[in-house]
Formats: sequence, structure tokens, C-alpha cells
Amino acid sequence: MKKLMTALLGASLLSTPVAAQSAWTGGDDQPTSPLACSGESPAPEPGEYNGGAPENAPDRKGKDITVVDIPKLVGVGYFASTASGMQEAAKELGNITINTDGPTRANIDEQITFVDNYITSGVDGILFAANDPVAIAPVLKKALAAGINVVGYDADAQADARQWFVNQALPNGVAKSMMDQLASEIGEEGSFAIVTSTFTTPNQARWISEMQAYTEKCHPKLKFLETVEAQEDNILSFNQAQTLINKYGDELKGILGMTSVATPAAAEAVQQNGLCGKVSVVGLALPNAMKPYINGDCIKSTILWNTVDLGYAAAEVMRQVVDGTLKPGDTTVKAGRLGELQIVNQSQVLLGAPKVFTKDDINDFDF
Amino acid sequence: MTRILIRHEAILGILFAVALFVMAAQSDRFLTTANLLNQARLMTEVGLIAIPMTFVIVTGGIDLSVGSILGLCAILVGVFWQNAGLPLPAAIGLSLLAGTAAGFANGLIITRFRVPPLIATLATLALYRGLAEGISQARSVRGYPEWFAVLGRGEFLGIPTQLWLFALVALAGIFLLRFTAFGRTTYAIGNSEAAAEFSGLPVERTKLLIYTASGFVSALAAIVFVSRVSTTRSDMGNGIELEVITAVVLGGTSIFGGRGMVIGTLIGLCLMQILQNGLSLSGVRGDGTTVVIGAVLIVAVLISNILGRFSND
Amino acid sequence: MSRRSFHAVSSLGQEILLVVVILALFAFVGAVNPRFVSENNLTSIFVGNAYIAVAAIGMSLVIVSGNIDVSIGALIGVLAVISGLLVTSGYPIWVAWLAPLLIGSAINALVGCLIAFARVPSIIATLAMLSILSGGLITFTGGRWISGLPAGYQLAQFRLLGVPSPVWFMVGMTIVAALLMRYTAFGRSVYAVGSNPEAARASGISPSSVVVRVFAIHGAIAGVAAVLFATQLQVIQSTTPVGLELVIITASVVGGVSILGGVGTVVGSTLAAILFAAIGSSLIFLNVSAYWLRAVQGVLILATVLADMARRRRTG
Repeated sequence: MKKLMTALLGASLLSTPVAAQSAWTGGDDQPTSPLACSGESPAPEPGEYNGGAPENAPDRKGKDITVVDIPKLVGVGYFASTASGMQEAAKELGNITINTDGPTRANIDEQITFVDNYITSGVDGILFAANDPVAIAPVLKKALAAGINVVGYDADAQADARQWFVNQALPNGVAKSMMDQLASEIGEEGSFAIVTSTFTTPNQARWISEMQAYTEKCHPKLKFLETVEAQEDNILSFNQAQTLINKYGDELKGILGMTSVATPAAAEAVQQNGLCGKVSVVGLALPNAMKPYINGDCIKSTILWNTVDLGYAAAEVMRQVVDGTLKPGDTTVKAGRLGELQIVNQSQVLLGAPKVFTKDDINDFDF
Repeated sequence: MTRILIRHEAILGILFAVALFVMAAQSDRFLTTANLLNQARLMTEVGLIAIPMTFVIVTGGIDLSVGSILGLCAILVGVFWQNAGLPLPAAIGLSLLAGTAAGFANGLIITRFRVPPLIATLATLALYRGLAEGISQARSVRGYPEWFAVLGRGEFLGIPTQLWLFALVALAGIFLLRFTAFGRTTYAIGNSEAAAEFSGLPVERTKLLIYTASGFVSALAAIVFVSRVSTTRSDMGNGIELEVITAVVLGGTSIFGGRGMVIGTLIGLCLMQILQNGLSLSGVRGDGTTVVIGAVLIVAVLISNILGRFSND
Repeated sequence: MSRRSFHAVSSLGQEILLVVVILALFAFVGAVNPRFVSENNLTSIFVGNAYIAVAAIGMSLVIVSGNIDVSIGALIGVLAVISGLLVTSGYPIWVAWLAPLLIGSAINALVGCLIAFARVPSIIATLAMLSILSGGLITFTGGRWISGLPAGYQLAQFRLLGVPSPVWFMVGMTIVAALLMRYTAFGRSVYAVGSNPEAARASGISPSSVVVRVFAIHGAIAGVAAVLFATQLQVIQSTTPVGLELVIITASVVGGVSILGGVGTVVGSTLAAILFAAIGSSLIFLNVSAYWLRAVQGVLILATVLADMARRRRTG
């Protein structure tokens, strides 16, 4: 009992006021590049190609190829929908077979083992969404060295460890969409909290940092309260959102959901507390998961790129890389029904700006 | 007792041979030196930790905190090296020390406070992982020098570097458990802790040493892992404890203590790895492989139980 | 008989300790931030974690009988998905609520048979089930989420007399299980088998049949937990929460169930589940740096365990 009290005391010692924090919890330490507050930002120059190249790859031009898709993890709606986009592209193209296989937890070690085994089994191409950009690099380089074409999507690896990366949206673009939407819903002086997956997830950490930079530049009076972790677990996300609502009461005007798991769970918490219209939920989520809340007028919007398109584009890019129709130095690439996609950041194919789904158009999408 | 043990290992050996044969027939890319060495490289971290875990389980205990110790030590290498500016070898040394201390703390809680190992290490599983996250502030440390990658990605005499380390630890484990008084005490504790204490064996000290070793080797695995993936993250090694325990019990070590051999653990480990690899090469997806491994675990224990019962008659 | 009363006394001490710690926690955090003890927050602490407390009841029976189940997290995931699939493919809602109980019971009865008749140690049998269930879940669902759940399916959102249904389930099932364990022949046989199977056999109890029944009940309770888990939100994930089995086992053992079998009550495990839920929430209210949150949580769990051991040594 005494020990417990000591521990409790220790806990209280740790409780520093949040206001004293300078950086938003859960961001990374990479440099940020916030977009302009209003108006279109000029498209960045693609620059010189910095991706890798497979060594002694056999000529696969126009031939049937077998490709494996290794997402961060299987079992979540997000990657189930990217996989369905890939199958759609495979059907259209007719000369590419894609299998999706990956770890059941977003675990860097297991993902590496998956890539390694598929290198040995001799696939023609690997599509990946990396759990960690650095950790996966050595094994991807091994794939390139074995003559396998390597294309990333959703979460990148080090540039020289893959050929191209299909970027769903630039981090500063995600940040702008999220914060502009939040400010439009809760006003320029509202307070908000963030629900993320884990602080170590690179994409989310990147976005949080960019969001902070953009907010300081364009919405300086928005007040950041705190970030909570909720893994990729919807009940935990729901509980964490509940706790935030209970803790801050009327002060809390908005919740930012950083993952497709956290956002619907936060929306559910707002709805169950009868706070529709009082607490806004802005975040990344699949339209299907948000329809109940948006159609019910509880939540105004959800932000996401079209994940089916992301998978579709990744498969299209893979085919063109193999065929040699997408090569270093190109500034655009034709991706089937998506038309021309822009090349940015030296070796990335940009899917577009993130889309804000509202009640007007959310029912037109099914993913 | 030994007869049954050897029987379980023989059965495992046969299972292993059958698996090897079937996998080789399924894919011609399976039974190649390059693939097998590569698989050995991939299993080193789990394998390293499985050696002291065999000792732990033979005493009738368990150590669930190994994955968290791995994560904590991985983070510490990065923090000591980059944030504290120490030379990398010193950072590695300190991290090994920290892992040892973490294991020692487990041992103390178990022996001094008499907390059952499962509960004690469940608590430190949460604690050590929490420390890893707190100390790292969830930041990754990257950009390790080239020479450091030799341990995780390099080769020595044509064999992956970390396999030499693994062999060393495994041999030490075999020797200690089989041929020393320490090993005999380990078995005695597992058979009956009260009896071991009564006959004057150093029960507390032995257990303390075993849990400390478990911490040390988990730290060693952390170094190998960091070198292999060239980055550190606080979630490293998450869930590895169940893989390790699966390998050990598949290898015939009794979860109730008193029975088990390092050789069995090694076979169990290899069987798991070739199943994963072989099934993947023959086109089975990851989730299917997980199901098969579960089934094999039951079948192995069932067969050895049935045969064991016949031989007892 | 004297042995029985000893259990009762020692576990009662554990329950009192837990109640005191929970009250102290609520008082302390409530003093720092009164919103912590608001009705809203208390409800969310109970509702959001009731399924863990419910699952811990079954786990306690299993551990008292001298076994363990590490596949519980995966089983809850599988049963939740089965429930969701049934209701979205047009079966009546009550079928979707009841099926997980029956299927969970059947699956775990099978596991119980493996343990009781084929002599596979429970940790091995359930480790294997963990692989089979979690792998099979992905194979079966292809990783898709289940959405489009019909209205009226959300059992966990119902209220009775203003109290959310998960709380009723948690409290009701704890009481029923506690009575069952204390006052029925079956309950006594579970303790007997857990503390000494040979002695139990000598007094005419069949340990094998007790173990099978314990696992069957545990499976049915897991079914209830799965329904509470599945009906809380509008989507059902086809992955299981990482480490759920460890949370449930920790709740049971911190609640006073001896991992060696034969000792403990389900009331303690429910209290421990509540304590952990309260700790998780309280640290956010105390503004503990989010990065250090899990470390503090670990320290608190360790402190509870050590305090418990100290208490036991005094009384024991």
C-alpha cells in the first residue's frame, strides 16, 4: 500500500501542465514545409530521379508478371480497400497477377520476413507499404539486387531502396486539409485534441508535425490540448475519445482522428455523448465507416484519398515500371482510369490532393 | 524421464525431416544453402532468447518481459549513442548492462518478493515497454555506421555473423544445462522447488542468475536486431515472447518445469522457421501459415503424449 | 473445509485491498480534476472496459482450475466477427447475439478436451489456438471490416434504468459466477481440481470433466464479451486488439486468482479490471506525459502486485 502511494506520488510528479509543451505530442523531428494559407500552392518541381533500379532484371515488357503486395498489416479496412483497387487494375491490365499477403500486426520484423520470403520465391515485383522506412530498406535493396521491381505506396521506404513510391497525398497537403477543415468547423480559436495510432508510426508522426507547422503559420489561435495513443484498435480509440470528452468538457471543440480506425470511433463517442454539433470530429477515415455519422448529421466531413484508387495507381505504376513506360526523368505518368498523375519529389507519383467527403457526395463512394 | 525426453526430440526430429522433405518437394527454391542461411539469420533474435527461456521454463517459471527488454535495449543503444553522444561500442555495452539489470530486477521480484514469475514479468512487460517509449519519446534513431551493420547483415567465413553468436550462446546453454551443477539445480528447482531448497541447493541464486541471463541475452538480441534493421523504435520485439515460448514448448520443454533440453528448443525453433518459410515459398499466405504452426504445435505434443503413454505401460 | 475458509479469507483481503485502491485512486484524481469522478466519466470507464471484466470472469475460472488461456483475445475477435457476419447476412439479431456464446463454448470445450483427455498442457493448447484463431480470422474475412450493422443490434448501447447494459452484464455475471463458485458443488470441484487434482479424484470428482466444463463456460462467457465488444461501435474490426489476452490474464491474477490454481474469486478479477481501466483513464486526467503513460501504468501494476504479495505474507 505504501508502495502504491509512492507510485501515485511519482505519477503526480510527472504531471507537467500540457500548456508548457512546445511541440505537439506524437510528431516527428523531421523538417516541415507548411503550404500557403490560401490559394493553390505551386506544384513542386519533380527534380532528379533518386529511386533505385533493379539489377539485371529480365525483360518483362508486356509479359505476364506475378506481383506480391505486402501492406503494413492485413485485417484493417484501409488495406483491404487498397488491395481491391489493385485487383481492379489487375483485371483491366490482364497481364499482372497480384497477391496480397502481410503480417497481422504492424510489425517491422514480420514484414521484413514476408519480403524476404517473397524474394526467395521469385516474384517479378513487390508492392509495399512500409512499417518503417529505414528498417525495410535493406531487404528491399536485396529485392532490387535480385532483379525484382519494387514500388511502394501509402508509406515510403528510403528512396534508393525502391524504384517509385505512389504518394496518396503530400504530408503538408494532408496537414492543410485537416487543419483548414477543423478551423472551419470549430472556429479559429477553438481547442482540439488528437487521437493517433502510436507515436512511432511514421506517417502519423509526419502529419502531426506538418499540422503543427501549418497551424502556427495559418491558424495561430487554435489551441492544441493533447495527443492520445489508441493503437489500431477501435474500442481503445473510442475509450480514449470518451476520456478526452470527459476530461475537457466544454473546452473541447474538436477531435482530430489520425487513422481510419480512430476517426469513426471518435465520431461514435461524440454521438453517444449527444455532442453532435458541439464537438467536431475531423480526420482520416474510409467513407463507408463514416456514413452513419455524416448521413445522421452528427459529423460534417471525413478526409481521405480514395484508397481504392491508391491501390489501383500502385498496380498501374508497377506495370509501367516493368514495361519501361515510366522511367527516370518523366514528369507525369498515365494511370488507367485515373488519367495523368504528376511526378513529385524526385521519384514519387502523386495521387492528388486529399479529398474532403461531405454529406453531398459521400454516398457516391463505396470503400 | 530421459527416455521420454529423447523420444520427444526424436519425434520432433522426424517431424522436422518430414517438413524439410515436403517443403523441398513443393518448391525448388527452398532447399538451397542461401535460403537456409538466410532463414537462420532471420530466426537469430528469437533463437537467442529461446536459450535462456529454456532454462526459465525448466525451473517452472516463465519470462514474458523479454520482448519489452529487447525494445528497451534497442532504444537505449540509440539514445546513448546519438542523444548522449557516446561512442557506439560504449552505447552497446551500456545497453547490454541495462538489459542485464532489467533481467536482474525480474529475478529480484520473483525471488525476494516471491511474486509468481508470470505475474512479475507481466508487470515488467508493461513497465519496460513503457520505459522504452518514455525514454525514446517515440523517436527513432537511425544512421548507424557501416561497421555496425556487419553483425546483423554481414558474413563471417560465409556464414551470417549473428549465427556465430547464436551458436556460441546455444553451446553455452547446452553445456550449462547438461553438464554442470548449475544445470542440475535448474532441473531440481523445476521438479520440486521445496525439495531443492530442502536439499541445500542454491535455489534463489540460481533463479536470480537465470532471469538475469534472460535479460542479458534479450539485450544481445536487441543489438543484433538493431544492426539488422539499422534503426531503433520503441515497439521493437513486441509480441516476440509468444514466439519464443512456442519454440521452447514445441521443443519438448515442459511448461510445468523439470523437463527440457536446449537441443529440443533448437529443433523446435528450426521447425517453426522452415514451416514459415517453406509454406510461404509454396504459395501459402501468412495467415494460413500461422494456422499450420498452431496445428503442428498440438500434433507434436499429442504424438509425444500418446507414445509416452504406451512406453509407460 | 478449513482450507476452503482460508481461501475465502485470503481472497476477501484481496478484494478489500482492490476496493481501497480504487477508491483512493478516484479520490486522488477526483481532487486534482473533479471531472474524473463525473457520472459521464465513471460510465465511460465501466462501459468501455466491461468486456474485459466479463472475459476475466471466465479466465478466473480457468486459472482457478489450474489452467490458463492465452487465446482469449483471438477468440473474442473471432466471435465478434461471427456475430457481425450473421447479422449483416440477414439472420435475426438474437441469433447474432446468441451464436457467439454457443460457438465460443463449443470451441473451448474442444480445447478443454485436448487439455483434459489428450493431456496437452493448457498453455500449449491455447498458444496453438491463438495461432489457429488469429490466422484463421484473416483467412476467413480477407481482412475486411464489417460495417452496415442494422439498427437494434448494438446491445452494448442499450440502457436499463439509466445504466448501460455492459455494466449490467459485468455486475450480473460477476455475482452469478461468484455464487456459482462459492455455493455449488461444481464451484467447489473447480477449487478442488485446481489445488490438488489427485485429492479431488480420490474424493470422487472427475478432474477431466471439470476442466472441460470450465472451458466450455469460459467459452460462453467469452461469447458474451465478444458481443459486448462487437456491439459497442458501428464497425467490427477483423483483427483482435493487440495484447488483449495479457490484459485479461493480468486482471485475473491481480484480482487474487493464484496462477498455481485453487485460489481466488471472480469478484477480485472484476475489481482488478475496473482498477486497470481507471488507471488508464486517470493518467490522462493527471496530464502524465503521453510518452511516459505506459511506464507509469507498468509501475502501478507492479506496485499492486507487490502490495498484494506483502499483504499475503502478513496474512499467510
